[in-house]
Amino acid sequence: MSPIVALRPEQPADPVSVVQPKIAIRHLSVDYPSPDGLPVRVLQDVSLDVAPGEFVAVVGPSGCGKSTLLRVLSGLLDPASGTAAIDGRGVADASDRIGFMFQRDTLLPWASVEDNILIGAELGPRRVDRARLGELIAFLKLKGFEKHRPHELSGGMRQRVSLGRLLAYEPEIFLMDEPFGALDSQTKAAMGRELLRIWSAHQRAVLFVTHDIEEAVTLADRVIVLSARPGRIRLDVQVDLDRPRDPKTLRRDPRFLSLVERVWGALDLQADL
Amino acid sequence: MSAIIQSGQAGIGLAGLVGRRVRLGLIRDRILLFAVLVGGWEVLSHTVVDPLWISRPSLIAERLVALAASGELWRNTQRTLLEAVLGLALAFAVGVPLGIAMARYKYGHAVAEPFIMALHSLPRVALAPLFIIWFGIDLFSKVMMAFSTVLFIFMLNVHEGLKTIDRDLLDLLRTMRAPRLYVTRKVLLPWIVPWLIASLKIGVGLALIGAVVGELIGSSAGLGWYIEKSAGRLDTTGVFAGLVLLMGIAVAGNLVVARIERRFSSWRPS
Repeated sequence: MSPIVALRPEQPADPVSVVQPKIAIRHLSVDYPSPDGLPVRVLQDVSLDVAPGEFVAVVGPSGCGKSTLLRVLSGLLDPASGTAAIDGRGVADASDRIGFMFQRDTLLPWASVEDNILIGAELGPRRVDRARLGELIAFLKLKGFEKHRPHELSGGMRQRVSLGRLLAYEPEIFLMDEPFGALDSQTKAAMGRELLRIWSAHQRAVLFVTHDIEEAVTLADRVIVLSARPGRIRLDVQVDLDRPRDPKTLRRDPRFLSLVERVWGALDLQADL
Repeated sequence: MSAIIQSGQAGIGLAGLVGRRVRLGLIRDRILLFAVLVGGWEVLSHTVVDPLWISRPSLIAERLVALAASGELWRNTQRTLLEAVLGLALAFAVGVPLGIAMARYKYGHAVAEPFIMALHSLPRVALAPLFIIWFGIDLFSKVMMAFSTVLFIFMLNVHEGLKTIDRDLLDLLRTMRAPRLYVTRKVLLPWIVPWLIASLKIGVGLALIGAVVGELIGSSAGLGWYIEKSAGRLDTTGVFAGLVLLMGIAVAGNLVVARIERRFSSWRPS
C-alpha cells in the first residue's frame, strides 16, 4: 500500500527510485475495432519511460494514437500486446492516483463550479475543507464564480474548473489529452504557465499530448514524436532549456527555435493531408 | 425514437412573454376567449341545436353544483385521480429500473427489443377487457391500465437518456476509480432527470387515458363510469360534466409537472 500523500513536493529521489521509472511502456501495440470487423492498429511497438517528476510531451499527426497511449495508461483500454506499468505494476493494479484531463471539459453540467471541483476531493485521498477549496478557487482565478454552472462560464474558465477538480484529486501522475487544445492562443499560453507553476511546485510525472509543437517544447522536459498511424516513436528529444521558462522570451531563443525545427522535421506531415 | 421526448410547454406559456402589462393583457384576453366560447355554446343550444345533443353550459354548471352537493363529484373525481396517480407511480417505479437495465445489459436489450417494441405498439386500450377479467372491476384493473399505458414512456425515455450520456465524463470518473454507486448518484441519476420530466409530462395525460378507458369498459365508480352511465341515458349534461372534471384533473396534473420542471431544470442536455 502506498501512503496517502498530500500534493506536495516529492522527496529528493534516492538512487533506487531513479532506477525505477514512474511510467514504463514496453513494446506496446494497440488495436481498435473497425467497422468492417478487422482490427486497425493504432499504436505499434511503442516503448517509453517517464521518470518521476518528468514532464513528457507527445506530439504527432491526427489519429496517430497519442490519446490511445493515455487511455491505455489510465486503464480505460487494453493493449493488443506489450505492457504498460506504473511504479512497476500493471495499470489495473497501480495504486497511484491518475489525473486525466480531456480536451473537452468533462464537467457535470448541472453542478456548480464548487461542486465540480469537490468531485476531485471526494474521490481523492482527503476531504477538502472550505478554506482549501477557497484557496484552490482563488489560485485558479475563479473567485466570484463559485456558484456558477459550467454553461455560464467561458471555455478557458471551464478548463480551469477541470484543472481544479484534477488538483483536488491530488493525482500522482498527470495524463493530459490536449487539455488546452480548444482554447484560444492567449488563454492556452496562460493555462500552460499555470500548469508549469503547479508542476514545478509538486514535481509529478506528466504525460502531455498535444498537436501544438511550440506548446510541447515550451512545457516539456522531453518531446516524443509519433508517426502517422500506426503510431511509432520517430523522435525522442530532450528539451534542455532552463527553467523557469518564460514563453515570451523563449520564442526568440535560438535553442528553442532549433528544437521546434527538429520536431517539425520529424513530423509526418503527409498524414494530416 | 427521439420523438418520444416531447418538450412541449406544459400549459401556461407565459414564460416567453415579459412584462406585467403584457401578462395582465394576456390573462384578460384568455378570459375573454373563454367567455366567447362558452357564451357561443350557450346561445347555440338556445337557438340552433337541441341541447339534447350538446347540452348547455348553464345546465352543466348546475349539474356540477348538484354533484358536488351530493358528494358524487368528489367520490368519482377522487377515484379516477387515484387510479391515474397510482398507475403513474407504479410505471415510474417499474419503468425507470427497466430503462436503466436496458441501457446496462445491451445484449439482453438487443434480444428483448422486438418484443418490447411490439408491446409498445399494441394499443393498450385493447387490454382493458383482459385486465378487467384479471384484476377485477374495481380500482386495481384501472391502476394496471394506467400503468400499462405509461410504463413504456418511462422505460424508453430513461434508456434513451442513458444512451446519450457523456462517455468522456464516465471515463474520467473511471480513471479516478469512482465506485459504481458514486457514479450512479453523481452522474447517472441527475443526467436522466430531464428525461424523467419529459416522461411525466406525457405520462400524466396517458395515465388518465388508461384509467378512464378502464372505467368505460367496466367499473362501479370514477369519472369514466359516470360518463358512461350518463351516455347510456342520453344524459349529455352528465357526459359533459364528467368531461369538464377530467379536463380539470389533466390541467392540474400539467401544472404540477410544470412546477416540478421549474424546480429541477435550467440544465438540459442538448
